[in-house]
Amino acid sequence: MEAVAALERDAELMLRVREGDDTSFALLLERHRAPVIHFLYRIVQNQPASEELAQEVFLRVYRSRATYEPTAKFTTWLFRIATHLALNWIRDRKKERGQESLSEELLDGVERQVPDRQPTVEQELLYAVKLREIRRAIELLPEKQRAAVMMHKYEELEYAQIAKTLGCSESAVKSLLFRAYETLRARLAHMA
Amino acid sequence: MVCMLHTKEGAGILLDYCAQALNPARRAEVDRHLEHCEECRKFVVAQTELWETLDRWTPPEVSPTFDARLYARIAREEAAPGWKKWARRILQPAAPVAVWKPAVSLVAACAVLALALVVHTPDRGAQTPQVHADSVDIEQVAKTLDDLDILAPSSPM
Repeated sequence: MEAVAALERDAELMLRVREGDDTSFALLLERHRAPVIHFLYRIVQNQPASEELAQEVFLRVYRSRATYEPTAKFTTWLFRIATHLALNWIRDRKKERGQESLSEELLDGVERQVPDRQPTVEQELLYAVKLREIRRAIELLPEKQRAAVMMHKYEELEYAQIAKTLGCSESAVKSLLFRAYETLRARLAHMA
Repeated sequence: MVCMLHTKEGAGILLDYCAQALNPARRAEVDRHLEHCEECRKFVVAQTELWETLDRWTPPEVSPTFDARLYARIAREEAAPGWKKWARRILQPAAPVAVWKPAVSLVAACAVLALALVVHTPDRGAQTPQVHADSVDIEQVAKTLDDLDILAPSSPM
């Protein structure tokens, strides 16, 4: 019930934004800023790029306020925009830099993510290595599988929402997820 | 007993089971199945371990200047001339527009129409040109000429 209320609240807020209420836009931003940035970050694996893309997502939401109609869940629409931008970014980057797998920024990102609980150097290294393996395993997934896993595992979107976001059927989403998890289980089995 | 992993639906249910996304009744059903199916048990263990492994990946903090930068961009965009705003809306739609979908329908409709025309067009070579003069009603022609006379501007008296 809480989830349904939250979804209705999102649509209501967006309708208020359409009427010119900028406070409602601030509330939407507050509610969805972190999930959108984290989702983008996990897909593109580059923090500055993920924030830049998230800015574009919210800018497009604001730009579309006049024509917004609550025909689907707000989060479905939001993640559809985010996925579209992220996949385009990955394709553009592939074109620019070829199929490079692990970049400097990736390793840099690992350093930034070490938790604050004063770990030993050995623990830090172990954490960094494990994290790098997880990121690499995810990075090697095909684009759609990667996006589907991020939405399913981390954003906890429903199959129907993921399907709408990716523009495919629910059954196709289930197949995508099954194949993606199968690949990840094989690649990360040694870490269990 | 059929292994759940061998059916598409069953595999999906197992994924939901590992993601804790099943209702209690469905969950109990899967629990009962797992008691007897070793293959599914292995799957659940491996998937749960993967789930826990993926949980280790926490994203970095959001930059504190994120909102300020966004509002600055919005302000810049709002201050832009109207034509620029419209151009952005058209060139950068919020969600992707699947242009190819209506295009495919249109092409398919045109193809069907073209095929129908080819199939139903009579063979012109076999036909002799026909003069329809015999089918023209003479009375109708006379009536039309009378109507034209009425419509014509009257000559000065």
